[in-house]
Amino acid sequence: MTPHLEHAEFIFNTETSQYHCKGSWSILCLETLLGQLAQIPSTPLASTIVINGEGILQFDSAGALALLQCKNKLKQDKNNIELINFNAKHLQLITLLEAKQDTLDFTPEPPIKRSAFYELGKETVNKLSQVDGLIILIGNLTDKIYGAASNWRQFHAPSIVSNVYTAGIQALPIIALLSFLIGVVLAYQMGLQLESYGANSFIAYLSGMACFREFAPLITAIIVAGRTSSSFTAQIGSMKINEEVDALETMGLSPIEFLVLPKLLGLLIIFPLLIFWSDIFSITGAMMLSKFKLDIGYLDFLTRLRNSVGAKQMLLGLYKAPVFAILIALVGCFQGFNVKLNASSIGSQTTKSVVQALFLIIIADAAFSIVYSWLHL
Amino acid sequence: MNENVIEIEGLKNRLGGLWVHNGLDLTVRKGEILAIIGGSGSGKTTLLRCILMLLKPTAGTIRLFGKDISHLGDEEAQSLRRRWGTLFQHSALFSSMTTLENIMFPMQEFTVLNQKFMQELAMLKLNLTGLPCEAANKFPSELSGGMQRRAATARAIAMDPELLFLDEPTTGLDPVGARKFDELVVFLRDTLSLTIVMISHDIDSLKKCTDRVAFIGDGKVLCVAPLEELRKNPHPLIVEYFKNY
Repeated sequence: MTPHLEHAEFIFNTETSQYHCKGSWSILCLETLLGQLAQIPSTPLASTIVINGEGILQFDSAGALALLQCKNKLKQDKNNIELINFNAKHLQLITLLEAKQDTLDFTPEPPIKRSAFYELGKETVNKLSQVDGLIILIGNLTDKIYGAASNWRQFHAPSIVSNVYTAGIQALPIIALLSFLIGVVLAYQMGLQLESYGANSFIAYLSGMACFREFAPLITAIIVAGRTSSSFTAQIGSMKINEEVDALETMGLSPIEFLVLPKLLGLLIIFPLLIFWSDIFSITGAMMLSKFKLDIGYLDFLTRLRNSVGAKQMLLGLYKAPVFAILIALVGCFQGFNVKLNASSIGSQTTKSVVQALFLIIIADAAFSIVYSWLHL
Repeated sequence: MNENVIEIEGLKNRLGGLWVHNGLDLTVRKGEILAIIGGSGSGKTTLLRCILMLLKPTAGTIRLFGKDISHLGDEEAQSLRRRWGTLFQHSALFSSMTTLENIMFPMQEFTVLNQKFMQELAMLKLNLTGLPCEAANKFPSELSGGMQRRAATARAIAMDPELLFLDEPTTGLDPVGARKFDELVVFLRDTLSLTIVMISHDIDSLKKCTDRVAFIGDGKVLCVAPLEELRKNPHPLIVEYFKNY
């Protein structure tokens, strides 16, 4: 059967003085009809009006609803309405609709408008409860680590290894590339200035200090926050929607122990190594640029790097690793547990997780700078 | 009236190194309610996915309303999709919309009716599936499993399709709700002249509303017959299936 797509019509025939229904009264062909509906003229009071359903090609529930509206419109003048030549199935549908008609008029509540103060207060409470939740998570986590110390199986070594692999090993190429480029750009900008003073050989000291202390840890943290924090949130969030988190809980297993602990430990293990990896490539970048642009040989560069910067500055950069790792893992997991039971919530929580992780990383980095300067490092 | 809505010939599907279907033939006639049954993993849902053009079969032809679906242009495929409605196993309601918006969604996309009319039509579908009016403004996550199923059914019939697919419609409903759902299925078929293809394990619902039942096993349709006739079939898989009833 091919559907006949002819516009539905509701026409008053003056010869027979009947309303005739024509065309397909189906959901795809009703626009003209709904236009005609508004133009039905008022009729003399209390007369009998006949609606003829002979010309109907298709009739579905949308058509029935439209017919009912025509009928109601005519009924307003207390007319008597008679339906003729309708087929039995159509009549059945109309009767059904008439029975349901009172329940159809439903308007969804309009969204309530709140004042700015309300939103401000709500957001404040919201943020405070988030802090609350984060503190509870940290407490739970500490408890689990303490408990796991006496039972090594609770550390879930395979899970830690897989986290080390996805968060660390798989990030190596991108960290190497970006660090190398940062090293090149940094050395280029500084080299231009140094060259004008004839102080070319200071490039090793300057780029070493900048890369070891700031750029390598930061660039690593930014990449890991973007890759890993979002994946933690999405993973835990979709597990929550799938009720997998609830399943763990009802089995008497702690989701914190199974989901958060291995992620945190995995990141703690791999993060210093990633910073070191980034150190290597950023210095390589700076070294190669110095060779081609400033005529400082590799050996010369490395000797100056050892004598003027040394391992101490590199360690100052590596000390940031555990703090960044904890921030990224905590924020990622916490936002994952905050996912509500709908699809758009995963998206918004993932965004929040990355933004908050980056925000906290920069704050923490600033705090490190202050502490280091207090300690005259 | 003896038209066939779906014709499947020699359907073969290889998934994960296994032949899920191996030369499956099935015909669905216009206006009938056909149930597909079979043990777990016998490929019922895979068959449905093939018919719904979600999965390309390895071999074989599927004709819907007389058209071979493997040789359809985008336009034709799209117009074909408008002629069916589907109720998925896990409801698959859009979680960011209210129930009412879910039901109105296909209408808004495919028609140019005014908002008020669409709303009334959506409320009608909601009512037909036995949901209370208050459910209209709720989000799927705020509804119980059974209510979600009804809401999803309401969305499936939103466009008054000619063909309705139901994937385990009564699973997870309470017995009273399930029987009401059966009545609804028959009622919809009678009033809207639908053709209904359902996957179901609910014997009561098979008894109550199906015209014919197709049993899938060994990658083929072993038997298509009214339920009472099917139960007398001596094939070992069918005997095993009905053993406990």
